[in-house]
Amino acid sequence: MTDTARWSEESEALAESVMAKYPQKRSALMPLLYIAMREDGYLSEAGMRRVADLVDLEPAQVSSVASFYTMYKLEPVGKYLVSVCTSISCWLLGGDEVLEAVEASAGVPSGETDESGVISPEHVECIGACGGAPAVQVNYELIEGLTPKKATELVEWLNAAQPATLNGDEMQALFGGERSFDWAINETNDATGPYPAFQPHGTIAALDRS
Amino acid sequence: MSEPAEFVTIKLNGEEIQAPAGEMLIKVAEDNGTYIPRFCWHPRMKPVGLCRMCLVEVETPRGTALVPSCVQPVADGMAVETGSPVALKAQEGVLEFLLVNHPLDCPICDRGGECPLQDQVMSYGPGESRFVEEKRHYEKPVPISDLVLLDRERCILCARCTRFSDEIAGDPLIEFQNRGNGTEIFTFPDEPFASYFSGNTVQICPVGALTAAPYRFRARPWDLLTIESTSPFHTEGSRITVHASQNQVLRFLGVDNGLTNQGWLSDKERFGFEFIGSPDRLKMPMIREDGEFREASWGEAIGLVAARLKEIVERSGPDAVGAIGGAQGTNEDAYALSKFMRVAVGTNNLDAQLDDGLNPDFLVGVGSRARIQDLESAKTILVWSADLKEENPILYLRVRRAARELDATLIVVHPARTGLDDLADHKFGYRPGDGADLLADLAAGTQDYAPALDALQDGPVVVILGRTGLSEDGGLAEAVASFARDLPAASIMPIVRRANTFGALDMGVAPSLLPGRIPARGASGAIIELWGKVPATRGLDTAGMLAGLVGGELEALIMVGADPVRDVPSGSKAADALRAADFSVAIDLFMTDSAAMADVVLPAEGFTEKEGTVTNLEGRVQKVNRIVPGPGQARPDWSVLDGIAESMGSPIGLPSSEAIAKEISTVATAYEGVSWDLLEGEAREGAVVPIGDVRQPLEYIAVNAEQPARTKGLALHLARTLYDDGSAIRHSLSLAKLAPGMTAGLSPDQAVDLGVEAGDLVTVSIGSVTFACPVRIDRALADKTVAIPFNQPGIETLDAAASVLVKAGGSS
Amino acid sequence: MTDHPLILTARMHAHPESSHTIATYEATGGYTALRTALDMGRDAIVEEVKAANLRGRGGAGFPAGVKWGFLAPARPAYLVVNGDESEPGTFKDRQLMERDPHQLVEGTIISSLANEVNHAFIYIRGEYPKSARRVQAAVDEAYAAGYLGANILDSGYDLELTVHLGGGAYICGEETALLNSLEGRRGEPRLKPPFFPAVRGLYMAPTIVNNIETLSNIPWIINNGGNAYSAIGPEDSPGRRMCSISGHVNRPGNYEIVEGITWRELIYDVAGGIRNGNELKAWVPGGASAPWFVPAEHLDTEVTKAAIDSNGSMTGSGAVIVMDHTTDMVAAAERLVRFFAHESCGLCTPCREGTTWLDMILRRMLAGHGRASDPDVLYDVSDNISPGVTWPPKMTTICPLGPSAVSPVASLLKHFPEEVAAAVERGTQVPVSIGIRS
Ligand SMILES: Cc1cc2nc3c(=O)[nH]c(=O)nc-3n(C[C@H](O)[C@H](O)[C@H](O)COP(=O)(O)O)c2cc1C
Ligand code: SF4
Ligand code: SF4
Ligand code: FES
Ligand code: FES
Repeated sequence: MTDTARWSEESEALAESVMAKYPQKRSALMPLLYIAMREDGYLSEAGMRRVADLVDLEPAQVSSVASFYTMYKLEPVGKYLVSVCTSISCWLLGGDEVLEAVEASAGVPSGETDESGVISPEHVECIGACGGAPAVQVNYELIEGLTPKKATELVEWLNAAQPATLNGDEMQALFGGERSFDWAINETNDATGPYPAFQPHGTIAALDRS
Repeated sequence: MSEPAEFVTIKLNGEEIQAPAGEMLIKVAEDNGTYIPRFCWHPRMKPVGLCRMCLVEVETPRGTALVPSCVQPVADGMAVETGSPVALKAQEGVLEFLLVNHPLDCPICDRGGECPLQDQVMSYGPGESRFVEEKRHYEKPVPISDLVLLDRERCILCARCTRFSDEIAGDPLIEFQNRGNGTEIFTFPDEPFASYFSGNTVQICPVGALTAAPYRFRARPWDLLTIESTSPFHTEGSRITVHASQNQVLRFLGVDNGLTNQGWLSDKERFGFEFIGSPDRLKMPMIREDGEFREASWGEAIGLVAARLKEIVERSGPDAVGAIGGAQGTNEDAYALSKFMRVAVGTNNLDAQLDDGLNPDFLVGVGSRARIQDLESAKTILVWSADLKEENPILYLRVRRAARELDATLIVVHPARTGLDDLADHKFGYRPGDGADLLADLAAGTQDYAPALDALQDGPVVVILGRTGLSEDGGLAEAVASFARDLPAASIMPIVRRANTFGALDMGVAPSLLPGRIPARGASGAIIELWGKVPATRGLDTAGMLAGLVGGELEALIMVGADPVRDVPSGSKAADALRAADFSVAIDLFMTDSAAMADVVLPAEGFTEKEGTVTNLEGRVQKVNRIVPGPGQARPDWSVLDGIAESMGSPIGLPSSEAIAKEISTVATAYEGVSWDLLEGEAREGAVVPIGDVRQPLEYIAVNAEQPARTKGLALHLARTLYDDGSAIRHSLSLAKLAPGMTAGLSPDQAVDLGVEAGDLVTVSIGSVTFACPVRIDRALADKTVAIPFNQPGIETLDAAASVLVKAGGSS
Repeated sequence: MTDHPLILTARMHAHPESSHTIATYEATGGYTALRTALDMGRDAIVEEVKAANLRGRGGAGFPAGVKWGFLAPARPAYLVVNGDESEPGTFKDRQLMERDPHQLVEGTIISSLANEVNHAFIYIRGEYPKSARRVQAAVDEAYAAGYLGANILDSGYDLELTVHLGGGAYICGEETALLNSLEGRRGEPRLKPPFFPAVRGLYMAPTIVNNIETLSNIPWIINNGGNAYSAIGPEDSPGRRMCSISGHVNRPGNYEIVEGITWRELIYDVAGGIRNGNELKAWVPGGASAPWFVPAEHLDTEVTKAAIDSNGSMTGSGAVIVMDHTTDMVAAAERLVRFFAHESCGLCTPCREGTTWLDMILRRMLAGHGRASDPDVLYDVSDNISPGVTWPPKMTTICPLGPSAVSPVASLLKHFPEEVAAAVERGTQVPVSIGIRS
């Protein structure tokens, strides 16, 4: 294996701890890809090379795995990935119209990123919020029960406020409607980029364990 | 590991047949004359059942089920319909699905005419397409390496190429990317499919998605003439077919000889065919006159050679003449050289190895010889040799298979990183020169070595041994052999790398041996009856001959397919020797660096241009065949040597290659009964000439002799790479550019000591040769060692015995 | 509905603010089942689960206790909890993970104990970071409380529990694809045979894969006994199950139901009926893979596994998607087919090529370019993926995903031929091709 550029010390330490959680280190491949995304904002070639190095694979094997899944973005995406569900239940209740509204206010079609690199709209398959259709995620933080109008406001808010971290409950309160079920208490987290905020992979600082 | 097969009875299309339990249905059907269409299944790879082309109907307790026959083991009482309406509908359906996105460009496809997909469509396929939507589009063929192009539109995603690269070759550089309908085969950006075995994927691709740059669009299959032959590139003796059109060799394909290459070829042997048609081939005899070569007739050239040799023999005795080479031709050529030197000249000064091999007596005479096939049942394998991936790539694949698929314990001993390290259960490195110490530790089972020694007690054990590098004394391999001999159920495979070396040694192209592995000293029997008296004293080996030329004891040198200036591990000494020679003649395909220094150069016919036999590293004799004429006036070596002997007035009486073959089988006892008829008839997989058998007159007992004192300063690990500046590669345009070039391999600590990192330039001095090259970090190297690849383009050949110095910096 | 107590959602209804915390969980009887189970030992736990006749809630409905009985004897063995919930219409596991993660963790520990597992995994789909956070927090709390790790509650039993986040791929819900994914590979299903998880699963070791909801039932079963569980609802599919209802109903959501009510009761009473008083047109009774039901034939049939099966569909993931009379059924079918085409792993030919082809035809019809031959081609392409287009489906594919795409097409052709004909009618009959790769 060639020597690849190391990540930040924090990410390298995380990578070590993640690998230790599995009986075989290749199993850590997917979590490591998230760490790579956190490093670069997307899954870069350098990131995949580093992962390959860590788990003793060829880079082609890593990209083979990464490109299989939809959440590893192999191209740079905006600060906010706005994922609009257009699967059956959301479609029945206007998911396509919500997508149109998001695309219109972002000014770019699904799959692209606006000029200022803030919003990347995408349409996705079911995100498990069908009872609160139509549903949207921003950096994988959920908002249920949107309307095209609320979706437009959401994008405008993201553009204007550009929060460093996102909170699903806050966005739900501002733009959401009917939910699939009561989410219970609000909790702090920091969804900081277009990857899921999940602590073992290094994406959130701490959980409120109240 | 094959246990005695248990047989089951199944009903195949209504007929009861017997089949080995557990065998896949697709294979059983084929063995019984029913061909089930398939794309992903390949007999040499694990079945994956993904193309779904091979669906058949099988009766189950819950009614009939469609099952993929490539992953369905046969079981007693199973009833199978391969052509029922339901099965046929499914097969046609799959075929239609495959065609949905397949371009209709058969007329311009390399595979057109020999494409399994095309064939299937002809015999099963739907007529008109119902698919009116738009097909998948990709950029048309993109090079994924220097040798291979990929057309993703044609790919049917059978995963043969990816499985081969990963499982068999160990180079997972092409993989499925994306998913679903967007799935494609591809490499990682800037990481080309640089595998020594990449050409195999072209051969097994069932469509024209993977094509070989060296033969794209050259010919249509129906224009090709084909013969079966044996690859001349590695000592494993891969079975191949040679394809030619209009007197041009266009490609080699691997043939599945289950006992040797199992269908695979290295890219060197697959694409090395290019040298045959090189415009640089010698076409006319050449004579040096006033320092310049001029063309001459065969009569003149042979007359001159005969006269000069005769003159020297008469003046200084037969031992003033020597010959090196003979390992690049056929056994028949080698026999002619052997007989020529003994009978026409009268000396034992001949050597097929170029100072880079092992003691010939050891190579042909050591007992308990392993065959390649023994790797299939080996429990433990010890590889203490050159990096097999670089020098014996087919053996490399077989060892990989044994370790990976057959769960053999693999122990690798080598001073640097080798291709097998990743699969090895135990890897031991050492500083070149310290091998004997390591052997002592291993034999004693001291701490680190105890598990490996334990594994070696678990037979059957196969021990592959050879020189790990050119700077290593050949005696170490013999010492390892003497250790291995005492292991339980161990067999030994001493190896060298150059083409037909084993055949040449068997023909007596060695200072100590006569044909049939008969020691020259005290020889008797049929060979003496035919040849008459032969010189009894051991002759000079290559190093001795080169030294002899400089010292004046030797005056004339005959080079037969040998280029000592590039090939011996001290090329500058070889050049000095040639300069000092009173007379030298080269019989060769090309004007090599050495031939260019000779007095007479004679054009030889090469591989595919002549018929004969070759012998591989396990003693397997196989046929090579002719399909194209040689260029110009080129002649086979044996005929040239026969002509010279005739002209010298000491005829050796060799009228044809076939006549020589007959003579070999009468005088070389070990080759008794090995006739061309046999090799073309029942022994298509080759006939193994027994080693260590009663007919084997020589039994060489290896000993653990004292090794030369170790180096004090920096130790040199000088090792070959698959691609180098050898003459076949130099003249195979596709391969010539693949030689890795000079690098200096250093251990991480050594690099730190020198203050350099990977890629930095260092200046290396080896004896009188100094050059600058980039640093390569090799974690497997010992400190105080530098690893240098041998025979790279643009660099003089290096003296393995010279002292070496490395310092940071330099300009290239 | 019934007077049986809630099993899965009782705590979250009673303690909406804190049901996910260990304090509330313990205060409401949490982790007592674990203590009981540690005393019972392996075989007794398996017996209770067998007695409960707890069917898997991931889709196939296989009894969990029976599955556990098949675990091959080699060790190590692994338990993998399937939280990849991605089938359109399904959102029940998310609620169980976010609102009562300790119930899941306790169920997982007991199930691991029953199967001699020392390392278990909870595989959660990547789009559920909140579920993953809540489950991870619960796992951390359980470690801290001594319910996980070495020597659990001084019993000598050790268990590591790793929460694994997916990367976005529905096919990873298929158990063997999930194992590949967990090994750091592409989420491609393995061949069964020979790779049955119970024999050759994770790292080729014996492995149990169970759904989130399935294992969330385990604490209750241990606390109340298998017989108490099997006494609830129909004999063949007892207990309570989560039913995700979505689409054109007034009260979408997850409902913890007992089987035996009719579809009319479920849709009109439980889910509040159709929005705006509209007419019910069709519904998907068990996740996107299930053949559709229509009111004329099915409204008064029972919501039981047996009845649904015999009526030619399946309970599947328990998701019910309701469509009213305004729905364009060709478009609805296309939405469903599009999903499977997008989620096909691409490994086997009929699914990789066939699902996309079906989707292309439907899209072309919707774009006004239907052809007279389209219904036949739709049927025959379906037939080449799922021979006979029967139920339960036969398949030319490796896994059931390919045939899943056939369900909506077959349902469309069967129940709404006139809508198909109308779409063809709208067609211009001019051969066109439209690229639809996205
Ligand atoms: C295409 C496909 C998708 C599936 N998706 C899920 C899923 O998201 N969650 C799940 O629990 N089971 C899913 N399954 C079923 C699993 O393969 C497996 O049967 C189940 O996890 C076993 O758990 P259970 O016995 O507890 O139901 C899926 C199956 C298929 C064929
Ligand atoms: S390139 Fe050829 S061998 Fe490789 S997957 Fe495609 S069709 Fe198969
Ligand atoms: S049916 Fe589809 S998802 Fe399943 S293995 Fe085949 S291609 Fe993959
Ligand atoms: S269909 Fe949109 S979240 Fe399920
Ligand atoms: S040959 Fe059997 S599935 Fe491909």
